[in-house]
Amino acid sequence: MAARFDPMNQDKKLSELLRGSRVSPSLPPRFQENVWRRIEDAEAPGAASDGVSLLDALVAMFLRPRFAYATVAALMLLGMLLGAYQSTRSAQHEAEARYIAAVAPNSLR
Amino acid sequence: MNRSLVILLGLLLLGAGVFAGSYVATRHVCAMKPASPADDLSWLRDEFHLGDADMARVRELHNGYLPKCAEMCAQIAAKKREVADALAAGTNVTASAQAKLKELGDLRARCQAQMLEHFVAVSRAMPPEQGKRYLAEMQRVTLGLHEEVERSMPEMGTMHGRD
Repeated sequence: MAARFDPMNQDKKLSELLRGSRVSPSLPPRFQENVWRRIEDAEAPGAASDGVSLLDALVAMFLRPRFAYATVAALMLLGMLLGAYQSTRSAQHEAEARYIAAVAPNSLR
Repeated sequence: MNRSLVILLGLLLLGAGVFAGSYVATRHVCAMKPASPADDLSWLRDEFHLGDADMARVRELHNGYLPKCAEMCAQIAAKKREVADALAAGTNVTASAQAKLKELGDLRARCQAQMLEHFVAVSRAMPPEQGKRYLAEMQRVTLGLHEEVERSMPEMGTMHGRD
């Protein structure tokens, strides 16, 4: 009489066979420590602490509309103040030169 | 190149442009502004903080001095022409040319003395502190150049010696 097919028994055998054939690779040295270090780095705020993330933060700050408008306004104001100051100085020098030319002709100086 | 770096450089350029544009535009506007009526004395009023009464006195002195100054200038110009003619007559510095040069020097000295007297008179028409400052500034401007030339003479002498 032919052996009866027992699916439960076959499954068990197959599972054992598969388990035995599975290769479990050895972990690289200090694997666990490295994993924790990466997790900590990723979670620390602004931890990337390299130039790139700082640059990103700076650019993000400058591109914020309120900051951008304020910066443009400040630069315009500074430019106008300096321009007005320089113009005043030039006008003063011209006026001084005009007076001196009137009272002290070049032939005497 | 990093994208953020490019953006940051662009923003810096933009900022510099905004600043430079405002500066140039303001200077342009100020230059276009009609200059104050060509009053020779406007500088005195602003620089030495003169009131109307001070300005009236200074203006009177100034208006009195200008014709004398113009007359002196005309005499100096005439004497300079005489010196030029005397020098053009020959290749030597003749006795006549030397006499003309001396007369020119005397005229210049008289004119300079007159100018300094005017500065003293104007300084007295100002509040004392401002008057002192004015006199020092005028002497620096009008006599300072001579001092510079005289100071440079030893150097020039050395240079001539080298030649």
